[in-house]
Amino acid sequence: MALSDTFGLERPIATVGDFFALLKPRVMSLVIFTGLAGIVVAPGHIDVLSAFTALLCIAVGAGASGALNMAYDSDIDGLMSRTATRPIPRGVIARGDVLVFGWGLSVASVATMGLLINVLAAALLAFTILFYVVVYTLWLKRSTAQNIVIGGLAGALPPAIGWAAVTGSLTFAPLVLVAITFLWTPPHFWALALYRSDDYARAGVPMLPVVKGKAHTRWQILFYALVLFPAGIAPAFIGLGGPLYLAVSALGGAAMIYGAVNVLRERDAVKEPAARRLFGISLIYLFAIFAALIAEHLIGLLPFGPWA
Amino acid sequence: MADDDETIAQRNRRERRKRNIAIALVLGGMVLLFFLMTIVRLGGHVFDGTA
Repeated sequence: MALSDTFGLERPIATVGDFFALLKPRVMSLVIFTGLAGIVVAPGHIDVLSAFTALLCIAVGAGASGALNMAYDSDIDGLMSRTATRPIPRGVIARGDVLVFGWGLSVASVATMGLLINVLAAALLAFTILFYVVVYTLWLKRSTAQNIVIGGLAGALPPAIGWAAVTGSLTFAPLVLVAITFLWTPPHFWALALYRSDDYARAGVPMLPVVKGKAHTRWQILFYALVLFPAGIAPAFIGLGGPLYLAVSALGGAAMIYGAVNVLRERDAVKEPAARRLFGISLIYLFAIFAALIAEHLIGLLPFGPWA
Repeated sequence: MADDDETIAQRNRRERRKRNIAIALVLGGMVLLFFLMTIVRLGGHVFDGTA
């Protein structure tokens, strides 16, 4: 028996589940989904194992970014109810261990992408991780109300990484998919920020509702929802999406605008039910449009596509 | 108090074992992935002498 056991000094160690939670599995699932969309819509052929490897690297890279975000934000995570139960604020994993875990996975995912897929995909993955960790987490998040707008670029890039994994190049088409997630991020996060604004204020994070007020945020949400509509349906007009995609993205875009108008007309500034609904709508929107895109390409629903 | 300490120690041994298994699976998976990707990239070229 160890000496620490005898004197009752042993503390509970982190479980496999705690380490998995560091990877932000829910964010990861969205990134896998949009990355897969980039892979399946890209012209040219990729074997199943290479596609799996590329997607795995994107997922692990995204997870590593999440872990590093939790490491560098551990001081403010403990102050907010949404993030207080993360492994570092709970005290089950040391911040230094998470830094090693996160940077280790980052290097591993980028190196694997470079060795097994191609250099452009690896470079884009490295850029995504560094942008999220350095530009967003360490810099913008605590310094400007536009934090999630600019930082959203990191979360938007996976379709471009997927496209680059297949083609070894970047063109206008995958950047349209990047633009969709980029424009989707502000209404998604600001909806959350509206009903969590007390949390952000307590932690000193300059989210838009904290800095500019809720009324300003509601108008901004509507603005981005309106701009998102044409961006959302654009893939149907540049040959990436077919009728199914057009229908889903048009309906989804309309639902986003409807949700944003309700947020604008919200009178319950305490519970913010409309903002909670818009947050849910935005998650369904992104899943639905990328699912439509993937379905059209993978199961041959695209009438004039390469798989038809 | 002594019972609690023993429980934590036992729990930690169990969790440490799970962590070791998880690390082994990840490393084994990496080896398998690199092996399979090598086979895929080589394709039939090993046998026709062009690899």
